[in-house]
Amino acid sequence: MNATIPRTVVIAAIVGLGLQSAGAQGALDRGKVLRAAADALGMVRWADIGNGATRLPGVDVVNTMEFQGSGTSYNSGQPVKTEYHVALGYNPAAMRVEMTRTGPAGGAPQHTIQTVRETYAWDESETGGGLVPGKGTATPAVGAVKDRLLQLWTLPYGVVKAALAAGEKTTVSTEGGATVITFPLSGQLAGITVKATLDSKNFVTRVETRPGDPALANLATETEYSDYADRGEVLTDIQSPGHIVRRQGGRLTLDIQVKMWEANDPYLVFPVPANVRTATGANPR
Amino acid sequence: MRSRIIAAVAGLCLLPIAIFAQEFSQVRRTTNAPPKPSGVTPRTADGHPDLTGVWNGLGDNLLGVPNQIANNGLAIESESSTHDLHSGAAIATFPRNSNRPLNNEQSERAAALLRRVGSNRPIYKPEYWDMVKNLDANANEEDPSNNCMPAGIPRAGIPSYIGQTPGYFVFIYPGQGGLIATQTMYRMIPADGRQHTPLQDLDGTYAGEGIAHWDGDTLVVDTWGFNSNTWFDQIGGYFHSENMRVIERFHRDGNILTWTATVDDPDVLLEPWTTTPRVALLNPRPNAMLPESLPCSERDLAHTVTKEHH
Repeated sequence: MNATIPRTVVIAAIVGLGLQSAGAQGALDRGKVLRAAADALGMVRWADIGNGATRLPGVDVVNTMEFQGSGTSYNSGQPVKTEYHVALGYNPAAMRVEMTRTGPAGGAPQHTIQTVRETYAWDESETGGGLVPGKGTATPAVGAVKDRLLQLWTLPYGVVKAALAAGEKTTVSTEGGATVITFPLSGQLAGITVKATLDSKNFVTRVETRPGDPALANLATETEYSDYADRGEVLTDIQSPGHIVRRQGGRLTLDIQVKMWEANDPYLVFPVPANVRTATGANPR
Repeated sequence: MRSRIIAAVAGLCLLPIAIFAQEFSQVRRTTNAPPKPSGVTPRTADGHPDLTGVWNGLGDNLLGVPNQIANNGLAIESESSTHDLHSGAAIATFPRNSNRPLNNEQSERAAALLRRVGSNRPIYKPEYWDMVKNLDANANEEDPSNNCMPAGIPRAGIPSYIGQTPGYFVFIYPGQGGLIATQTMYRMIPADGRQHTPLQDLDGTYAGEGIAHWDGDTLVVDTWGFNSNTWFDQIGGYFHSENMRVIERFHRDGNILTWTATVDDPDVLLEPWTTTPRVALLNPRPNAMLPESLPCSERDLAHTVTKEHH
């Protein structure tokens, strides 16, 4: 189970949605809204088997994903040309963000790989660095766990999963004619509230995060998603955004045009290097 | 149109197994949970569990998608509950919101995702991560078991027939038709206390050199001496080297046979990997037989024009 969403909460949320017919009007709306958002993204799928002899319910089929894009990131307010490559997974909760940045003055590109898995964060000198002796390094980044997990859970799929997991704490409302989902995150991200706005097709188009603790003001973010399509080389009917714009602490930090988004649960793994486990502690929770 | 032709061809290839499976499909299933064990576990004269029988009652190989989903690690327990067998994580589950049958494209894409979403994945050394991902993405062309080649071990899973004598076992794996066409495979596995042939003296084969022994009531089959022409599973692009060693464990509980395999391949894996347990149901008919597999003749790949998995 990932570090952000306690398993019992997920189970309670899912059971609650499955038994929505007996719920109050608010709960019914919440279930319908979250189902519509999940369906819009193509997350809920089932299979027909044996001429109908087996009829399984729909399940969330999103686990690992990979996307690539290019655009601009901002370093102290200065725009930097950026190649952006992300590998992610929700079971376990993990994300590897690889950026190649070229400053306005040119020069050698700066290449970074920032990885997080559950309660561990580290920087890799190369993909998978530090796992095999002599092949790259892994530098613990204990203080970066929250920021990196927040990027994962504020992606459209993460929003739907986390809103489902939040159960009755998730509320649904209408603002300016748009449907808005509001819910608290949990685990490592406890204390942060997410507000997600859906468009008329039930796509997540805007995600805002607000930390309750002023000391975590850097975790106040706004991310806009648009131009949804199936962008996988292997088509899946899973819809992904083609344009991502993120602001953090009120400042623009990322503006990326997505070129590719593989949603077919590709082979992406996030083993934690031994030195990162040691640096984080045996039981970081 | 092309999809319909492919589906029809695949359907014809599956026909014998589908007929064989009918008697097990009469109970309409809404979950992919295996049935509870029933009956006693027979024992041989030497006191070991008797594994003899026809074991494809749950269609470990083809009947399929429910079991294939379970193979890759999702247990769908009800209309509102699913969990990942490997991590224990709950997976959001929803009632169907449409009774309209899926078309072929929708069905294939959904089935491919459902088979792949589980979290139990072998951990390769980082230098092979892209290779595995690319093999998987191009599996229609790259899968070494396409074109009627043997599935190999551990991909073959639970044999559809096990014959047991005091000194050896016979495992039979009928060939599969359809878009994942594989060849019929058999293994003759000694259980007489012999040791493995040194690896360097073996010519690598699809099934390797398997030697069995009992660990309590569990049959353990230890195999090495493989070629590198197979994958761990139907999905994933999980290739291996000739240095692979596989430990399979078979445990009978009444009419249920549970199988796992642990793969160790220090050339390519970061750590040994254990499959999600698979379960097969005994065919209870005293006159149960394996039907003859149709000759494997791969005719579909030439018509595959996308990278979608089948």
